Amino acid sequence: MEKQTEIPSGLVHFAALDKMLNLARANSLWPMTFGLACCAIEMMATGASRFDMARFGCEVFRPSPRQCDLMIVCGTVNKKMAPAVITLYDQMPEPKWVLALGNCAISGGPFKFPGQYAVVEGVDKLIPVDIYVPGCPPRPEALIEGILKLEEKLTGWRRWPVASAS
Amino acid sequence: MPISTLKIKFANIAVRTAATPDSPVTPLVIETQHATKGYDLDVTVPVERVVDAARIMDETAFMLEAISGVDWIAEQQVEVVYDYTTVISGARVVVRTRVPRMTPELPTISDIYPGANWHEREAHDFFGIVFTGHPELIPLLLPEDADFHPLRKDFGA
Amino acid sequence: MSIEAQTLHRETFILNLGPQHPATHGVLRIKLTLDGEYIENAEPVIGYGHRMHEKMGENRTYAKFLPNTARMDYVAAMFNTHGYVCAIERLAGITVPERADFIRVITAELNRVASHLLWVGAFLIDLGGFTPLLYTFDDREQILDLLEAVTGARLTFCYYRFGGVCNDIDDDFIAGTRKFVARLRSRMAMYHALITKNVIFRRRCENIGPISAEICRKYGATGPVIRGSGVAYDVRKAEPYSIYPRLDFNVPVYDQGDCMARYLVRMDEIVESLRIVEQALERLPSGPIMAEKVPRILKPPKGDCYFNVESARGSFGVRVISDGTDKAYRLKLRSPCFSNLSIFQECSRGMLLADALALLGTLDLVIPDIDR
Repeated sequence: MEKQTEIPSGLVHFAALDKMLNLARANSLWPMTFGLACCAIEMMATGASRFDMARFGCEVFRPSPRQCDLMIVCGTVNKKMAPAVITLYDQMPEPKWVLALGNCAISGGPFKFPGQYAVVEGVDKLIPVDIYVPGCPPRPEALIEGILKLEEKLTGWRRWPVASAS
Repeated sequence: MPISTLKIKFANIAVRTAATPDSPVTPLVIETQHATKGYDLDVTVPVERVVDAARIMDETAFMLEAISGVDWIAEQQVEVVYDYTTVISGARVVVRTRVPRMTPELPTISDIYPGANWHEREAHDFFGIVFTGHPELIPLLLPEDADFHPLRKDFGA
Repeated sequence: MSIEAQTLHRETFILNLGPQHPATHGVLRIKLTLDGEYIENAEPVIGYGHRMHEKMGENRTYAKFLPNTARMDYVAAMFNTHGYVCAIERLAGITVPERADFIRVITAELNRVASHLLWVGAFLIDLGGFTPLLYTFDDREQILDLLEAVTGARLTFCYYRFGGVCNDIDDDFIAGTRKFVARLRSRMAMYHALITKNVIFRRRCENIGPISAEICRKYGATGPVIRGSGVAYDVRKAEPYSIYPRLDFNVPVYDQGDCMARYLVRMDEIVESLRIVEQALERLPSGPIMAEKVPRILKPPKGDCYFNVESARGSFGVRVISDGTDKAYRLKLRSPCFSNLSIFQECSRGMLLADALALLGTLDLVIPDIDR
């Protein structure tokens, strides 16, 4: 049996309803606990008391991919781990988004060197990525900014003030 | 147990095998300075005496900390280094042995130290060293179907 | 079990725990052979976080490997750097100035406190209690603020250099650390009231997951695992290094060998680390923070050398074999979590799954430290 790769699009679009749905989706992203390496600790710190991702709706961390819509790939993806990443991505129901947290998930990070044999150089070689948050590891504020960028991508406009440089 | 007593115990097994004509390694027991080397006793044993050395360490209530491989490609040998330490005094004993690089085989010590099971699997992963008698010498850190040994000096790029 | 239960036909089944699982602290996979809810065999499968640190040690110069050391055990990153830097210094014969040694110990012990606080929060989450995480992470953030001002990083510090540290500590840091030490000390009673005296926590941890001292010795388990089994082995006392011989601190040891003993060891270690930080701050000498005449491209003499430190998780060892060039010939990193996890297969036989996860939690694993 062929794998289903084409997801049929809706025949009818409701503009206002879509806008409301997107706003609801953006305000209640459910991330998956997919900590692979060091960035996972910064994701935990972002969910903890000081930085508090719950303010932006991302409180409900679910271990099961079938109940999530956001996969935050925190850390290096190994060649041994790659089939598991793809399986987890396939298990997530639509609509789903992927946020690559940290340099390892973006491009292999500090583990990319000639002759390397174990690291997948960037999770976007395996699954489509929506937001890239650079850093090694990125600060929790950077992760929150990534979430806000994702919300902007979903709704089409940014509902939160841009952090000033002062 | 003081280091001097250990030296005698190791010297016994080393002397017994010095007579073996095709033993490739000269048996040596050297006392070293902990402050400069990090260990107190450096013992080189032939391959056949690795299990006896482990038994001496076990009887003296030492613990196995690590098993490392070193690829001496210029000498066409692979060295296996066993690190033992004792909780009582912090004394540290290093047991070394060398095997030919093309056919690296030596007996397992996982019957004496169950912790050696994983260390030997790791050494096999990285260097291709075969520990005869090991219950399950399958890849530990590399993928299950890996057939390469990355820490050998002639690996890959 | 009743007669009917004993004569029921039971089959075992194989269940995968991980590599993506909330309670495995990283990418650990455990192949469980379960008889109902009891574990017949639990085989850990590791390697999902293997990032070739030992290979990179051979491909990079000694200084370029420094960032790698922090990324192995990232929760207590200072200790890995400390072990690596001291191993190279021992081989190359570099003496560290006194002030740098004091600063290293202060920052390392603060890192130990941060690591144990994170462990307490994560362990309680494994058992199902979410609240302590919020408290411990708040305290941990205060430590990270102090360390960030000095080292520039929150998690993966690259602060030590060969011969000292790269940045001096200032009066703000010293005052802030003193304030933090006093604050955390006053909060320990709250933690004990919140967690240690909680009846659910006690039922989940007391007499659960016994590990004997002999098993620790046979597998090479160190750190709070062996100290929770009655053996007073701490590298800072057994093979003293840096300025630890001049400081007065105890090594907490508990005899029971269960999860509660390992938890109490870590809680007491937080208090002892605060004592160490306080003493080190009082006796902090003035002076340079880097040794003189350390070459920019370090080429240690030929030979090999071993150095181990007491990391938050156990004895972390570095064996460096140098061939006289600027890159190590072989860099062996002895990870404490590797040996600590290897006891899991034997110790979890016959346990209920939830109890086995409590045991796994008290081993305090960081999987990239195992996989290196």
